[in-house]
Amino acid sequence: MSDTAALLVRIAGGDRAALHALYKAQSVRLFGIAMAILRDRDQAADALHDGFLNIARRAASFDAAMGAPEAWTGAVIRHAALDIARRRGREMPTDDATLGDRPVEATQLSAIADGEEGARLRSCLEQLPEKNRRGILLAFVDGLSHPQIAARLELPLGTVKAWIRRGLLSLRECLA
Amino acid sequence: MTPEERDALAGEYVLGTLEAREAAELRARMETDAELAAAVAAWEQRLAPLLTLAPPEAPPPELWARIERGLGLALAPATARPRWRFPWPALGLGASAVAAGLAAFILLRPAPQAPLMTVLLTSSDQPAWLVEAAGDTIRLAALNRRAVEPGRVAQLWALPQGATAPTSLGLVPEAGRFSVTPTTLRPSPGMLIEITLEPPGGSPTGRPTGPILFIGRLSEAGGS
Repeated sequence: MSDTAALLVRIAGGDRAALHALYKAQSVRLFGIAMAILRDRDQAADALHDGFLNIARRAASFDAAMGAPEAWTGAVIRHAALDIARRRGREMPTDDATLGDRPVEATQLSAIADGEEGARLRSCLEQLPEKNRRGILLAFVDGLSHPQIAARLELPLGTVKAWIRRGLLSLRECLA
Repeated sequence: MTPEERDALAGEYVLGTLEAREAAELRARMETDAELAAAVAAWEQRLAPLLTLAPPEAPPPELWARIERGLGLALAPATARPRWRFPWPALGLGASAVAAGLAAFILLRPAPQAPLMTVLLTSSDQPAWLVEAAGDTIRLAALNRRAVEPGRVAQLWALPQGATAPTSLGLVPEAGRFSVTPTTLRPSPGMLIEITLEPPGGSPTGRPTGPILFIGRLSEAGGS
């Protein structure tokens, strides 16, 4: 079992020192994930606060058979950050003054995690049409909504929704 | 829902493009739909390598102390046995477990049938409202009072299982305790109860337009 997985087992048992150890080991990575989505340090701190409370509460539901513990903690923090982005009115494309301040478009696919899974995902993403791929990365990494992605890529909203859905379908088939 | 639709919905949830309402409903549904939960887990695994695209950044130094305070507030203090971990994994179970625990305090009179209960949780799973439905009447009690954002109102909605659109049950009054008796629907197990933030006077469209503040799913109290 990895160190992180062992920590999650202790956290599930109510071990607060283990939660602190997890925080020390992963907060820089996880804060980066929240910052990419929220682009605001106070709100990213809120996301880590909410996310770590969720990690404490849900550690028992972590299943090592379903993936790496870093993926699990990353997902918990991402969803906490996405909830905050939704609360601040992400559905309104003009509402987000910070949009575009920090173009973390992540077209540098080379930064995708090394390892077999990362290499496969990178190769599958490379097979997608350019705007399709950018839409998926803008959603996952930068937390943009459909209307925001449409504005960013200068495409009609309906087109963006359909392309992203089709892109996900292609990815699933490619990775199968 | 076909397997294709379920998988597409799970993928969009993981990608983050679902709106607040859709995401909250999907989370609630994952509690009872194991196939949906598995589809979400599979998508989390597929897309996890993208997590490394976000540049790492150090959080503010005082953040851990704040998280520790949050643990203390949200979870019962440790006694002989560590109790600060909620034993349930997520929304649905949590609501019913809290409801079952609190039912004893609320149900002082004998009920002719098993009442339905839930606890409405915030997006970070903090208990916010206790909901009890008996017969046609739904009663709500605030577990801790929160002021609604100035210039906005809170509106109550119910979504019976299988329905596609929620029904408004009216605006949430200032008082921390109120009841409603809907004329067009009857409280039933599995019904989603939610409170959204809306413009003054309530949603102009008859559908929720603002973010979900609190959400929970009715289930039979005590499991009897």
